[in-house]
Amino acid sequence: MCSKPLLKATIKQNIAVFILILAVLMVYLPIIIIMYEPETKDSLNDVLALLPQSLIAAMGLNNLGNTLTDFIGNYFYGFLILFLPMIYTITVCYRCIAAHVDKGSMAYLLSTPNKRTKIALTQALFIIISTTVMIAFITLAGIVISNIIFPGELDILAFLLLNLGTLLLYYAVTGIGFLSSCLFNDTKYPLITGAGLPVIFLVIQMISNLGEKVQFIKYFTLFSLFDPEKIINGGSFLPQLIALFIISAVMYGLGIYVFNKKDLPV
Amino acid sequence: MKPIINVYGLTKDYGNNKGIFDLTFCVGEGEVFGYLGPNGAGKTTTIRHLMGFLTPDRGCSQILGMDTRTRSSEIMKQLGYLPGEIAFFDQMTGLEFLKFMGEMRGLVDTKFRDKLVDLFQLDTGGKIRKMSKGMKQKLGIICAFMHDPKVLILDEPTSGLDPLMQKVFTDLILEEKSRGKTILMSSHIFEEIERTCDRVGIIKNGRLVAIENMNDIKKKRRKTFDVTFENPLAAAEFVRSNDFDIMDVNENIVKLSIMGNVTEFIKALNYHTVLDLNIESSGLENIFMYYYGDTESEKSFEVMKGGH
Repeated sequence: MCSKPLLKATIKQNIAVFILILAVLMVYLPIIIIMYEPETKDSLNDVLALLPQSLIAAMGLNNLGNTLTDFIGNYFYGFLILFLPMIYTITVCYRCIAAHVDKGSMAYLLSTPNKRTKIALTQALFIIISTTVMIAFITLAGIVISNIIFPGELDILAFLLLNLGTLLLYYAVTGIGFLSSCLFNDTKYPLITGAGLPVIFLVIQMISNLGEKVQFIKYFTLFSLFDPEKIINGGSFLPQLIALFIISAVMYGLGIYVFNKKDLPV
Repeated sequence: MKPIINVYGLTKDYGNNKGIFDLTFCVGEGEVFGYLGPNGAGKTTTIRHLMGFLTPDRGCSQILGMDTRTRSSEIMKQLGYLPGEIAFFDQMTGLEFLKFMGEMRGLVDTKFRDKLVDLFQLDTGGKIRKMSKGMKQKLGIICAFMHDPKVLILDEPTSGLDPLMQKVFTDLILEEKSRGKTILMSSHIFEEIERTCDRVGIIKNGRLVAIENMNDIKKKRRKTFDVTFENPLAAAEFVRSNDFDIMDVNENIVKLSIMGNVTEFIKALNYHTVLDLNIESSGLENIFMYYYGDTESEKSFEVMKGGH
């Protein structure tokens, strides 16, 4: 069902940007965990007091929380995790299908005895696996670093759920990117939708944090389905995660279907 | 002859008279079929249908008895393809790319591949991104032939090759033909089609206007001569006193065409001072001009001539 040589080539093609983004995340994560230190937290609150209230709200830093899990959940999973890996997924989604069609190298892939569905499935698999690996690294690093600096303080179950939510959110975001990569032939459109939609979602998410009056617009962003606070503090989050999973499955399935049916200008 | 490539009423309408319309032809086993037409005539669109990249509006095409759209992955086991536009995996080296394509095809035996690399004298160690157009073209040709396929579809195979390599390529085509391969190649280089092809299909504005047998064309072959005389007076004198098929007189240059024997022509020239004599000899070119004789197409023809 999956073409090994293509998977190998795609890994080789994208390993650099994967490592780069993961490295940046790995620098941020320990810094944020260290900042939980009571004294630094106080000084952090002092710094935050200097910033405009609306900016802090937009970043989702209203309530830094009392436990380490709350702190990481708000600080890291409220904004950074929505933003940094997205750079990776946008790049990879575009490269996997649309770039090959646009450049014409898809002609070579399809001149081999491999079905279009197999090619698309291989690329989809790469996006899913590499995203999973990235989140897994962060999860593992989060647990290890927390336990070294603040032994026993991290609520591991909540933290794992938090990362599962993040992963499902990314499946949905990459699903959108993959579908648009399969759908459009032109260079512009896969980038406009594959990158534009998630960025718009993120901006809406930030605006909806600003206050009661604008909160209704959170219904226009996919990111509302991922609520770190509810996941950590035991609110209702399961239906949202299931919704994310269904959206992902539909997006990827549709992408492969469309790619199999469409006319290719290569 | 067993038909290998069959095209029945293939139609793809892009509007504005663009596309291909009701194409019907077949290529038999062991035959080399030349596919000729100016840019935008529909050559590549036809080939994309044969590769299964496009779904036709009407009609269908088959290779080895299999529908090209629905069973393309099976067809590809026995088909070699050279795309018209060269685009590879830029970050790979030439050898990495050939290995990758070999793996994608499940190719084990690399003997023929290595032989082709030697034949085309390609340095496969460098990154594809840094290769010249000619080197990339060689890489594409090797990639199309390396798995020793039964059927070859080549879109403008010699573009970017120097004359020496064009010769190597022509020899390769003739050798593969002698081994019973079925080849469809589009081209705008008349000599190359003339040397290698058994039949030629001419496509104009998406419609097939002629399918000619190469032997018939050779028999009907006409040569065109451009004779430069000392002055317009001598040119006029030559035109008046002889009975040749004069195509054009421009001051002291006379353009005439002769079918077959040229003895009379040489005798007649003997009475004049000839500053320059230029021979254009291509049967196919004449056939081509016959079908594309209107002014608009002449322009694209000039572009094509300049293109190689």
